[in-house]
Parts: sequence; structure tokens; C-alpha cells
Amino acid sequence: MEGQQKVLVVDHQKCTGCRLCELVCSVYHTGASNPSRARIKVVKWEHVGIYLPMICNHCEKAYCVEVCPTKACHREPENNNRVVIDRNLCIGCRTCIIACPFGHPFFDLQERVTVKCDFCDGDPKCVVFCEPKAVTYVDADMVQMPKKRDAANKFIASIKQVRE
Amino acid sequence: MAAETIHPVRNVRYLRPQEEWNEIPAIYLYLAGMGAGSYVIGVFLNWFVHPSQVISILGLPFDLTKAAIFWGPVLVALGAQFLILDLGIKKRFLYACLNPRTSWVARGFLILSIFILLGLLLLVKSIFPLEGLYPKSFLWYVAELIAIFFALATALYTGILLKATKSIPLWNTHLLPLLFLVSALSTGSMAIILSTLGSGVLATTSGALKALMRAEQIFVVIEGVVLYLFLSRRYKAAEQGKDSVRLLLFGEKKLLFWGGIVLLGFVFPMILEGIASFSHGNVPLIFTAGLLLLLGGFFLRLGVLRAGIKDQLPMLRLMEIEYDNLVARWGSLYQKKK
Repeated sequence: MEGQQKVLVVDHQKCTGCRLCELVCSVYHTGASNPSRARIKVVKWEHVGIYLPMICNHCEKAYCVEVCPTKACHREPENNNRVVIDRNLCIGCRTCIIACPFGHPFFDLQERVTVKCDFCDGDPKCVVFCEPKAVTYVDADMVQMPKKRDAANKFIASIKQVRE
Repeated sequence: MAAETIHPVRNVRYLRPQEEWNEIPAIYLYLAGMGAGSYVIGVFLNWFVHPSQVISILGLPFDLTKAAIFWGPVLVALGAQFLILDLGIKKRFLYACLNPRTSWVARGFLILSIFILLGLLLLVKSIFPLEGLYPKSFLWYVAELIAIFFALATALYTGILLKATKSIPLWNTHLLPLLFLVSALSTGSMAIILSTLGSGVLATTSGALKALMRAEQIFVVIEGVVLYLFLSRRYKAAEQGKDSVRLLLFGEKKLLFWGGIVLLGFVFPMILEGIASFSHGNVPLIFTAGLLLLLGGFFLRLGVLRAGIKDQLPMLRLMEIEYDNLVARWGSLYQKKK
């Protein structure tokens, strides 16, 4: 595999629920500023202030690829190992939507096919436009780094407390 | 097992019952199952009872009985139209067979196609027993055996298609193909009874109608037992399996379950058929019972489809905990303010 595989990572605690990611995703992929046609969805519980952007995980064992009857949904190992849907092969059976545990692929009512995140061909627009950096595009082996850093910082802080 | 309020986090769009497959796939599953079931029953009936009532149409011999008992492939072909109708781009339906290695939709496409073609061939041969077709040839029996295999595969496939969806605990069980198979046999035998009822086609043959009705009643009882096992096992299988069963039995779908599946599919047909057996095969009663049973078969598929809730993801479990913490914190602040 050429280069390091990159993945989208969500930090729901940083998300403000502005839904700009949905808007830019829709504009980039469809030309329409219609969040319902976006490949990223922000699930909200407004009254308690929880916002959760839902993205495709491009799973290692992708159920959508397994169940697709036409091979429209396939993996591209040469292209960041992403899972994409070939809209020229998709028949719109929506089996992939049912199979995906993350509820990710979406049925585009206008194009009558299923669509999903394709990392915007290497430059995800949701990441570019996300002001609070709730969605990031990082090397796969760096996913846990912020958590590790947090844990290390806490450890250092507790040691300092003990010494004082 | 009583109804409980669904947690707000679980009640979001992603964790509500799936809405992708609804009425149209339910009709497809139902017609495919009923057609396949009626074909299996029809072939067995033909082997062991040999009903025959030949009339002449335009000088050709035409066997009425065979038309009634071998019409399964026609139903399956009709059901396949609903599958195509449900596609986003209908003209691409032939692409649906491109990935039989891993996809059950593709495998089903092939199974159904073979069954429809073989079944229609055997139907034509049976209703027009022309000498040129060698109707007594051994090869036709082999073809019938192969057709039975594909009919059973079709009936099982309707369940396996759903079972293959690993992320929905309600569907992910071996009991679902079994349930759909038994339902296919019960609705299939009832379809044959209804199509021949009043015509005297089976009634003239010694005890054929009675035996068929008895078989149908046994299938209904087995179906009831399998349905109970299916629901009870799924209730214990996973949290979302439990949610699905609750939804079906006590939630939004309770009318569909108790009215459509239990009353129309099991209770009313059994009562009406029981009354009909005391009144020497009252045709209107049997006809009503049959129609209700067929409706029940459809509602069974619709209910199973509509109650499918996806597995909960770990991150949503985290959301649930976070939600509860926030509500508790804000609740205590609100109390202090008061």
C-alpha cells in the first residue's frame, strides 16, 4: 500500500451541531446545498447539547461490500483502502443501507442510487470546513494519539500532585 | 416483557426500525414464499393423488387440475416484479446477479430465475400433455425433483435474505428461514385449496381436499410454534432483539402483530376451518378462512420487516451514558434553582 492509510475521526465533544459539514458535503458531491443529500449526518439531542457526526468507517470487514449484489459497493485498496459505490453499477436495492451497522450509505432520492462517503478523493470537505475540528482526517495509526496524550497528561498531573 | 419507554438516544433515526424494506419487499417475500410452497405441495399432490380433469381447447388436451396445482412459478414470477419495482433504477435489474459469491440478493436472483424457468416449463408440460413432449419420460421426474429443490430453496431464501443482515438481531437467526419455509407451505397449500375450491377438481378425487386441509392445519400449528420460538429466542438474543420483539408485541406495531399475524393468520382461520369441518366442508367458510390465512402470511413478513432494529453501536452506548449524566446534572441544577 502506498503511503499511510488515512481515516476520518470524530470527536463528538468538539461538535457544535452547526451542520456545516453536511452542507459542504452536499455541495461538493451533488452541486446542491441540500444537507439531506450529504454523506455525513449530524445526530442531535439538542436539549442536552449532544451532537454526534455520523460518518462512514470504511470498515475492514465491510458488510455493505459483502451484501451488494452488483459489486457496485467495492473497496479500492490502491486508493486509501476506501469503500466506495460505483453509481453506474448501483441498482438502488438499498441492501447495503440495511446491512451497515452505522446506518451509513444513503439513498439519494434524486439519483435513485445509494451514495456514501468517498473521502472527497483524498481531501474531505467536512474536515476542511469544520471550524472546531470535530472531524479530522488522520493517519490510521494516529487515531488513538490524542487519547494517549490525554492519559499521559493526566498521569503527569497526578504525579506532580503526589510530589507536591 | 411489558412495554418500556425507549431511551431517547436509542430512539434516533439510526436505531429505529429499518424503513428501507417495507410493503413492496414484503409482497415480494410473500409471493415468492407462497408460490414456492404451493409448488412443493402441488408436485406431492400430483405424485400421490394424480388428480386429472382433461378438457379440450382448440383441439388440444388441457388438464384443469394441473393448472391449479402447478401455478407456483407464476406467483414467484409475479413476486419478482415487486423486487424490480422496489429498485432505484429498475432497468438495471439484470445487474443483480453479478455478485453471487457473497451476496444473498444475487444468489436469490439466480435461485428464483432457475425455479421460474423450470417451473413454467413443467407447468406447460403438465397442462398440455402432448405426445410430442413425452410426458411419461423419466427425465420429467428428474426435472420435477430439481424444481422441488429450487422451490424449497426459494422458500428458504426469503428468510435467508433477511438472516444475512447481521446487524439486525431480530433477523439474524436460523429460525427465520424455518419460519418463512413453514409459512410458505401453509399459505401455499391454502392457495391450492382456494384455487380449486368449488370447482370440484380436488373434491372429486378421493379425500384429496380433506388431506390437503389437514396438512395445511398442521403447517399452521407448526408455524405458530416456530413463531413463538423465534420471538422468545430473539427477545433473549440481544438488546435490539428485545426492542424489536417489544415493538412488535407491545409497541407501535402491536396492531400488525396481534391483528394481522395472530388473529388473521392463526386464530380466525383455525376457528373457521373448525366450524367448516362440522358443516361438511362449507365452501364460503373455507374460502374466508383461506383468504384470512393468506393475509396473515403477508402480515407475518411485513411485521418481521418492520420490526427490524439495528444493533446498538458502542459509541451510541457511550452517548446513552453521557445523555443520562447530563440529564441528571441538569435535573439537580433545576432542583437547586427551585
